[in-house]
Amino acid sequence: MERQIDLRGLTCPEPVLRTKKLLDDKSIIKVEALVESEVNVKNLARLARSQKVSMSCSNEGDFYRVVLTRAETEPLNALEELAIREAQKETNKQRVGTIVFISKDTLGEGDRDFSVSLLNVFLQTMFDAGHRPRAILMANSGVKLMDPGGSTLPVLSNFAEAGCEVLACGLCVEFYGLKGKVPADQITNMFSICEYLMNADRVITA
Amino acid sequence: MADKTEHQQKKLTANVRAGGCAAKLGAAELAKILAHLPQKSPPELLAGIGNFEDAAVYKISDDIAIVQTIDFFPPVVDDPYLFGQIAATNALSDVYAMGGRPVIALNVLCFPTCDFDEQVLADILKGGSDQVEKAGAVIAGGHSIQLGEPVYGLAVTGLVKPAELLTNGGAKPFDKLILTKPLGAGIALLALKAEMLADSSRTALLNNLTQLNSTALDCGKKFDVHALTDVTGFGLAGHLHEMAKGSGLKCRISVDAIKTLPDVIELAQQGFVPAGAYGNRDSYKDSIAYLNKVELEMEDLIFDPQTSGGLLFSVKAEHADALLDELLGNGLGACLIGEMLEVDTNETRGLVEVSSG
Repeated sequence: MERQIDLRGLTCPEPVLRTKKLLDDKSIIKVEALVESEVNVKNLARLARSQKVSMSCSNEGDFYRVVLTRAETEPLNALEELAIREAQKETNKQRVGTIVFISKDTLGEGDRDFSVSLLNVFLQTMFDAGHRPRAILMANSGVKLMDPGGSTLPVLSNFAEAGCEVLACGLCVEFYGLKGKVPADQITNMFSICEYLMNADRVITA
Repeated sequence: MADKTEHQQKKLTANVRAGGCAAKLGAAELAKILAHLPQKSPPELLAGIGNFEDAAVYKISDDIAIVQTIDFFPPVVDDPYLFGQIAATNALSDVYAMGGRPVIALNVLCFPTCDFDEQVLADILKGGSDQVEKAGAVIAGGHSIQLGEPVYGLAVTGLVKPAELLTNGGAKPFDKLILTKPLGAGIALLALKAEMLADSSRTALLNNLTQLNSTALDCGKKFDVHALTDVTGFGLAGHLHEMAKGSGLKCRISVDAIKTLPDVIELAQQGFVPAGAYGNRDSYKDSIAYLNKVELEMEDLIFDPQTSGGLLFSVKAEHADALLDELLGNGLGACLIGEMLEVDTNETRGLVEVSSG
């Protein structure tokens, strides 16, 4: 059985309470709820996690459409994992902090060799001064900093060891022929790069 | 629904969007607004607007200072007497949080007399006055207006010897942090509104909300307490941040050590988390550094806005066990949650380190 419920205009805790009552009925496998605020969505995400149902949410302008689906055939641990990942994504979003975004292998424009070494100096100074950005993201020719033969890799490794995420755009790594030279766990995609940049408290570009 | 004429008595919490300390403006929002106000600090003003203190303290002489505070909010429960008690307990707490004793209190009241019987009003005021009496103070007046939504609280004046004044600022490295009430009042109040709270849990919640912080302060005064605050609207995380920042230190807490009200962990897991907790999470997102994986519900608990919350002591490490014993011996749900530590840089982010296990 599927149920639709319009919870707009209700104050907390009514939206989560009414949704919980529907989910308590095991014959209902899908609930589509319309809610007004982000707080409602976050509370429903917690409910979904505790009830081990999957959840998707879309922003429909001045309200949210939340779909909760009980997938009885799928193993529960997979769903649990999904919910945890959702929750982690949310936590990450809350404290992204500073992101350094490097989209070329030089700092500014000028004499090529000078500009390359200047970028190295920039990163080294940042590290020595004790700054630990949440992530250093590299795209386009910026991924060349990950070249094992280059001079910048040591400082990037220092950042990584200090807990910063050092990530290179996969498409770019492939384009510049660095595939196999950049560790797989330091390769990311444009989606993640977008998420980092859009949710960052501060973005430093070089 | 709204156009139906209701002859029946309305529920006190019927129209309340956020009750109790969950109704507070967000810390980030507030800081932004206050930044535009001129701030003057005459030397007699021992505690003012600067450090998000619990109350203002004005020195009259070397022997005596007055502690002045005001606190009020919309109903958190439907029982008017109980609401009065809770609001008063909460308002009085700010005086204790400065190490002071309340002496007089004024009622602050907004009330729609068209919607409720006069008896409801009388019961709210009786609840407030009974708590004030228990605190050894007197109600000396007040002010009331007609308003669409009921609001009640107190303006409280207390006294403190300037030498015994405790602010959220004086913590020292390696002090232990002791919290005197279990956490989760915001979550439990939301569940109470949803009628999701078992009777025993409801009793535990209401006892917690009407427990004056006077006993806790009495216990604390026997030991070397360096800093003090009460945990209210900004949640444990927010008040820890203010204490750390005010003291030029950082703090490290373990969520495993935190005592919680019955059922609140399960309730948080199921999404009964007040909007104020999300507001605090947002306001203090840069203040928290998770040292390892902390469960989402425990994160929610440290951000949960506490109505009439407990005192938070930063006490000399050698005295911590004795203070904890004293608090427990007096029947308080106290717990030692962590310690204060030196900071290596003048970084003000991540001052509250949170771990589990």
